Amino acid sequence: MSIDGDRSRRAVLKAAVALGGASALSACLDRTDDDPVPTGDPAAKPPRQHAWREYVRHDDHGNSRLPAHQVLLYLDFDVGGPPTDADRDALAASLAALDRAYAWRHEGLLHSIAYSPAYFDRFDTPLPEGIDLPEPTALSPFESPTFDRQDAVLHLASDRADAVLEADRALRGEREAANGVSVPSLTEVATVDSRRTGFVGAGLPAANQDAAGIPDSKPVPEASPLFMGFEAGFRGNQATEDYVTVDTGPFAGGTTKVIANLRQRLADWYDEQSHEERVMEMFSPGHAENGLVEGVGDNLGSSSGIDRFVDSVVDDAREHGRVGHAQKAARANRDADGNVRLLRRHFESTDDIGSDQRVASLHFPSLQRRISAFEAVRRAMNGTDLTEATPAIRQRVNNGILEYIFVRRRGNFLVPPRRHRVLPTPRPE
Amino acid sequence: MKRRELLRTGAALSGALTLAGCSSLIETRAAGVPPVPENRPDGVYYPSHVEGMEMVGTASSGDYTVGLMYSYPHRFWNVNGESVALTEIDADDAVHLMASVWDTDTEAILPDTGLSAEIYREGSLVSQEAIYPMLSQPMGFHYGANFGLDGEGEYTVRLSVGAMSTRRTGAFEGRFADPTTVEIPFEYSEAAKEDIAFRTLDDQVSTPGAVDAMAMTALPDAVAPAESALPGRVLGSATSDDARLIVTALDTPPAGVDGDGTYLAVSARTRYNRMVIPAMGLSGRLARNGEAVYDGAFERTLDPDLGYHYGAVVDDIASGDELTLSVTVQPQTARHEGYETAFGGLMGGMPDVTVAVP
Repeated sequence: MSIDGDRSRRAVLKAAVALGGASALSACLDRTDDDPVPTGDPAAKPPRQHAWREYVRHDDHGNSRLPAHQVLLYLDFDVGGPPTDADRDALAASLAALDRAYAWRHEGLLHSIAYSPAYFDRFDTPLPEGIDLPEPTALSPFESPTFDRQDAVLHLASDRADAVLEADRALRGEREAANGVSVPSLTEVATVDSRRTGFVGAGLPAANQDAAGIPDSKPVPEASPLFMGFEAGFRGNQATEDYVTVDTGPFAGGTTKVIANLRQRLADWYDEQSHEERVMEMFSPGHAENGLVEGVGDNLGSSSGIDRFVDSVVDDAREHGRVGHAQKAARANRDADGNVRLLRRHFESTDDIGSDQRVASLHFPSLQRRISAFEAVRRAMNGTDLTEATPAIRQRVNNGILEYIFVRRRGNFLVPPRRHRVLPTPRPE
Repeated sequence: MKRRELLRTGAALSGALTLAGCSSLIETRAAGVPPVPENRPDGVYYPSHVEGMEMVGTASSGDYTVGLMYSYPHRFWNVNGESVALTEIDADDAVHLMASVWDTDTEAILPDTGLSAEIYREGSLVSQEAIYPMLSQPMGFHYGANFGLDGEGEYTVRLSVGAMSTRRTGAFEGRFADPTTVEIPFEYSEAAKEDIAFRTLDDQVSTPGAVDAMAMTALPDAVAPAESALPGRVLGSATSDDARLIVTALDTPPAGVDGDGTYLAVSARTRYNRMVIPAMGLSGRLARNGEAVYDGAFERTLDPDLGYHYGAVVDDIASGDELTLSVTVQPQTARHEGYETAFGGLMGGMPDVTVAVP
């Protein structure tokens, strides 16, 4: 698909919209790679569905570069009670076909399926004691999100837009095969309740900034992997895959996954604030004072260096009348030994769930051993204690990035280990 | 001539002349807003002009009722910590939206809730913002922001109220603890907007004083209780940069305040029209024979009888004690014209004040 001038761009646009998703647009525009997509060996997949780190690109500092193109398919299974063998066979066939169609690599396809508390409610047996999977809940004193309570979510990710789109379309029954392998449609057993798409990585946010929520000044830097203009997910500020993995019981090798969707409103972020002020609100006033962040923050290397500014957050609130997003969140994102508790894998989108409008938004999957760890970090981000320390910090203003993000959706899921990925019971053997 | 240039030209001319000269060209009266008055005093003053406002509607949910009003786009001064910065009217601004949040039961205005607005037209997102708290002479405390719109027509405004983190006492204890969202339809037309009152002030401009509060039947006022209506024993009052601080003493703290002893409440209101001044940092030192018997914070608190106030528990008070109040953080609300130099503001300075216990 080549792009020459406005006419073919319009044609691409139409084609992309026909594929059924605003962000498919970026996927199509980006599709210039004619190399074949590597096919896969089902026997060569890692036992953890969330094993990405070894299979994605890394930057010069060893930070993960998440797959550029991603799709989330929210599924409701047609069966009301416990799934039957036929249901399991059908889903297993779809997933096994993906395994054959794509290598488990960033230029192939990474995929994982995760199940909600509502899914497990169909069984009489509860989940094992050690699995912390509550229903989603509001986590700030000012949000009222819609909860994603679908049965499951299937996450597809690749640096190859064509791979993600083919897999997505085959799974939804819009084509027979993906990467030359016949893929039975998920629609045999499930309904796709919601399809969400997105992208991440330098260049893509800049190319997709023609969306509501981002000012007309086209402020998103080419080098930024995200709309807000900074790198994120530094290796030193992320939990390891080992750390977030459930280590005992039938789901050993699995993890829990929270996926939120946030709308972003970046007019004031970019038009009313200097780079220094944005650094203050994204990282900490100390980062701004010491000039620690150049441009999008590549100079930070493999860590945002936030830990040295965590204890000063109340003093910063009083002295600067602002606090940083990262310094607030980090307060709850370390265990007693100083290990990071969450593994965040967020990516951008222009999806506006429920409409066809292009609106800047963020899909925020986070992996952690227990959902409660995510909830604690998210609550720390509210900075309610800081609003009490000084009136200069308000509920959403001068309080990290809360002024610019609006939570619309949240769902909690269990990512089983690969061996139990097909419609597991609460106590799989 | 582009509208933005026209606005700039208009702003450079003086009020009446601008209106006369450009009236056939301009789309809205915003272009005719007089310039910020010269020689403003450091304190509450009569602004260059007063704009009316129109009620859009009210809606109730949970503990809250929310009222939505609109007017011409306004210029205002944003306050963040010590910084006070003018926000000019943008050429794309169509309206100034204002919202007030009050307790459905008592009609007490609730500052510090936090408020955000989403504006939709035929299901399509037009805007979404966290709206800033503001103080204006006709309205007192409210939330407000200028918004651009997609022309005339039917809009839906969704207003999300945040839970209060401000301490609540008495019958307010435990209330206003949950967020809520209400939806109010808004029919926007240029003609209806142009019918909203707009008057310039003449000789009074820049002189000390304030225009009267605007009476709106559907909207509770944001006025602090009269001195005579405050519970407890009023010890005295003092004025700091036109913020009037009245100190009253209650024999016991209201429910919801930890500690035993005398409760000292400071009710802060604007000079002239008694509008509640919320969101300050306040500390106080109570001295007896030159020795401090209390030295600490006066905490932001909302009480059904005292209203919004700043309170501290001290062991006791005695005749001759001196309470020195220090504003550590100026009121963190944006200011409409006439309030931007008072209460700290553009010219800074809220000097300490002392009230002696009679």
